[in-house]
Amino acid sequence: MKFEDSSQNLRMRLWFVQSAVVLMLALLGVRLYYLQLVRGQHYAEIAQNQRIRLLPIVAPRGVIFDRDGHPLVDSRPIYNVILSREDLRGQNLGSLVKPFAEALAVDFDILRERFEQIGSQPAFESVLVKQDATPGDIAWVEAHELEFPELRVEQQPQRRYPPDGLLAHVLGYVGEVGAEQLKQQVYKDKNLKPGDVIGQSGLEQFYDDYLRGRDGYRKVIVDSRGRIQDEIETVQPQPGHDLVTTIDLDLQLAAEQQLRDSATKRGVIVVVNPNDGELLAVASAPTFDPNLFSQRIGTKEGRAEYMALLNDPDKPLINRAIQSRYPPGSTWKIPMAIAGLEQGAITLQHSNLVCGSGIQIGNKFTRCMGSHGSPDVGTAIVHSCDGYFYRLGLKMKLEGINAMTEEFDLNKRTGIDLPNEVTSRTPVEFKAILDRRQQEWKDIDTVFASFGQVYEEMTPLSMLRTVSGIGIGGKLYIPHLLKEVRPVGAAGEAEYRAGRGFQSTDPARPNPKVVPIPGDIHRAVVDGMWGVVNKGGTGKGIRMVGFDIAGKTGTAQVVGLGKDIGKNKDHSWFVSYAPAYKPEIALIALIENSGFGGHHAAPAVRRVYDVYYRKTRKEEPPGALPVAKSTGDRRPKTGVSSDSASVVRVATN
Amino acid sequence: MVARIPTKGLRDFDWLLALLAIGIVCFGTVQIRHAQPTEAYWVKQLIGLGIAVVAMLLVAFSDYRKLINIAPAFYVFGLLLLVIVLIPGIGLKINGQRAWIRVPGIGQFQPSEFVKVTTAMMLARYFGRRRDGALSLKEIAVGGLILALPIALILLEPDVGSVLTYLPILFTVLFLSGIKVRYVVAAVVLGVVLLPFAYWVGVKTGFVKNYQQERINVILDPENADRRGFGYNTWQSILTVGEGGLLGAHRTSGHSQSSLKFLPEPHTDFIFSVLAGNAGFIGCILVLLAYALLLSRLIAGAKRAPDRMGMLVIMAIVGGMTCQIFINIGMALGLLPVIGVPLPLMSSGLASLIATFIAIGFAMSVQLRRFVN
Repeated sequence: MKFEDSSQNLRMRLWFVQSAVVLMLALLGVRLYYLQLVRGQHYAEIAQNQRIRLLPIVAPRGVIFDRDGHPLVDSRPIYNVILSREDLRGQNLGSLVKPFAEALAVDFDILRERFEQIGSQPAFESVLVKQDATPGDIAWVEAHELEFPELRVEQQPQRRYPPDGLLAHVLGYVGEVGAEQLKQQVYKDKNLKPGDVIGQSGLEQFYDDYLRGRDGYRKVIVDSRGRIQDEIETVQPQPGHDLVTTIDLDLQLAAEQQLRDSATKRGVIVVVNPNDGELLAVASAPTFDPNLFSQRIGTKEGRAEYMALLNDPDKPLINRAIQSRYPPGSTWKIPMAIAGLEQGAITLQHSNLVCGSGIQIGNKFTRCMGSHGSPDVGTAIVHSCDGYFYRLGLKMKLEGINAMTEEFDLNKRTGIDLPNEVTSRTPVEFKAILDRRQQEWKDIDTVFASFGQVYEEMTPLSMLRTVSGIGIGGKLYIPHLLKEVRPVGAAGEAEYRAGRGFQSTDPARPNPKVVPIPGDIHRAVVDGMWGVVNKGGTGKGIRMVGFDIAGKTGTAQVVGLGKDIGKNKDHSWFVSYAPAYKPEIALIALIENSGFGGHHAAPAVRRVYDVYYRKTRKEEPPGALPVAKSTGDRRPKTGVSSDSASVVRVATN
Repeated sequence: MVARIPTKGLRDFDWLLALLAIGIVCFGTVQIRHAQPTEAYWVKQLIGLGIAVVAMLLVAFSDYRKLINIAPAFYVFGLLLLVIVLIPGIGLKINGQRAWIRVPGIGQFQPSEFVKVTTAMMLARYFGRRRDGALSLKEIAVGGLILALPIALILLEPDVGSVLTYLPILFTVLFLSGIKVRYVVAAVVLGVVLLPFAYWVGVKTGFVKNYQQERINVILDPENADRRGFGYNTWQSILTVGEGGLLGAHRTSGHSQSSLKFLPEPHTDFIFSVLAGNAGFIGCILVLLAYALLLSRLIAGAKRAPDRMGMLVIMAIVGGMTCQIFINIGMALGLLPVIGVPLPLMSSGLASLIATFIAIGFAMSVQLRRFVN
């Protein structure tokens, strides 16, 4: 260099600068080596994941039919406004509550709560902002695409249940799987994710695995704002199985009508075919509207409605047929009579016991409602003689009564294909309570246990199962609602999934349970039950000439004698089957707190028999009771034609 | 001023340097097109290249000494541009910075890029006249003042990133003008000690804002930083680079980090990430080598310069360019916080491109006249 100056070491300094340049570029090279070769795979995966999104396609849920092919439950498409959290990118969810709540008319608090809830949960796909969006809502979302690109509209099938709470307790309802549920193993096994809609009650819950089908998905590529750019693959959903129930809509409507027309509007009517356990009607009143859960639960009004149901003293959400226990009253005398004869406490030749208008045990007199002399077993049933059965119970002793409950499955669940069935309570359980209190089981307790008070609490369904099983000679079928799970697709197709009929959840349980009742014993008891209706007994008011009903009234005390007025009136029972000597239908009715069984439950039962008679005999039943009030055709109009298995019809409005 | 092109000049013309520069721009244009396939940035870049090559040739075949002698005029002109850009209506405001002048037909023009060259000329002129001995404090102060004027105007835009690329120009010139080594050592030691301390104090006193901290955090630990907030740009850039692997990400779907808009500013600030994603490690190393070769070529030219002025103008350009390359790529690789500076020769942008080519033109002019004296 011509201008070089030794004092400045210029050559050295230039060399230094050159080294710095090389060093800086080398450092970048080292960093590139780390990012691309050492960690490249890792970053590539993350980059892939952030652009690939799985959008679920909800599988159409199966339709539920009655036994004649009338659709009971179906789905219709609705539109939901969804918020995709991936696209928020640090934006505060809380700040979005207000504009969304105002523009889409969603309740502020519900939306805020929902947003807060998902904030604490990782890896959420999207949040529901508004269900069942109106065309106005959809237009608003589309108009604000630039402002709120994270919003999108999705179509979703919504479950539609019959009006007026028809069959509500049987059908149940669907709802979103809850956060608590997702933590349970049962639900984990189902491979569910938050926001999935599953059956939460009734048949919807029990046969959820069949009804739900399997969701499909769209695998798409999205840009940084979540807008779909490309579709990689689509996996079509597998539709759920259709369900055919054993329900006979005509009988069901009649049964519900009877409960609505009853004195207290609270009660149960169950109709079963005793020869196979198929339930033709299961009515429980008061009822509720399952559409609340499938359609309105996300709204403020819906929640208020739900709270009202929970707080209603009449407990409309309870299926009284399987979730309420009542003292069986005199209906208890039927299994007592069979067991007394079988166990030899009485014999057919010498079945007479003293009525005595009651019985004196120690210093306590327990009275009979009449004075029946010294009746035989048949007469005792006809006139529901308590004194007779006090003494029969004392002869059978507690052990005999316990053997009876065991023999007739009265201490077990019936095994119905509905969730949350409770077990009836028998003297065994009550004695255990006394034992814990170190109280002695006395003869007076055996007396109470022998006429269906104090020491028995039965679900109406278990009472019906036992009595109808006795009616056909000792075969106790498991009552059930499933006639058929229909197959999906045709045999041979790749998508084909087979159907099935009813199967007990407990394969070890015999169906039917056979209780060998000697023919003459059976005959004697049935004669008594026949006499209840046909020979001037407690149910004589519902006699039907040519269609002999065998039955037994029951009047179950709720409180002590003398206080049985108003709200605390006795429960009115009537359990029956017909025709008496060749049963094809069995029917139980319980009207809560209405009074004497023969006055309330029996007429309700008769009116349902009338409907059955008209339907099967194609003629007017002899001496049909007038129907209290007609409310016209209450058949559900679900919008699905009876011969169609297709679930989703696109709404045209 | 433009000398008649002598046949000897053509022989001495640094073809390799020119081809390297043009080659990098062309490669960069491919990446710009990749980054913004739907926009016309890559076309503008090619037009810009044409203008830039012409400007480079004009400067190359001019006598750099004459140009540097009238450097004050360029310098003042540059300052004037920096003032004009601040006037609302003329200066274009983008992302809160009023740093662009709208040029009809071409788009916008960033004067701060261009003023780098005039400032380098001014510095070369001032320090090129001295003969020997260590720099006096007064000389250092004057050098500082020459730099301070444009920096002050740029800070008004405000564009801190650009300012950072100005400082190395002065540092290089001072270093090569014989500043005492102990000053250099002192400055380096102070910087190493004071910078973390200042950051610590800044965090404690709240002077360093939260989002600025996040931008630092994402560099220290990108996996656990605020990836959706202020760390987003760095994180997405790291992903884009990492996805490139050895040979570049070959996607069947044809969607990339930039086409899906995960990577912000892919045609300007993060053009290197786009390149890394497309061309992989091999491609990146080749580009780094190309830059290394180009800079070495310039330094070699500086060593052969006929006078101090020529050496200084080349080295000022080398210093500025090297630091800008390091800052830009370092930012793309998550080594440095996000600072909006373009990558010389690759980022889309007219001013940067022309300014860089003019700077190379200067180096060529110096080389063409190395035997003149």
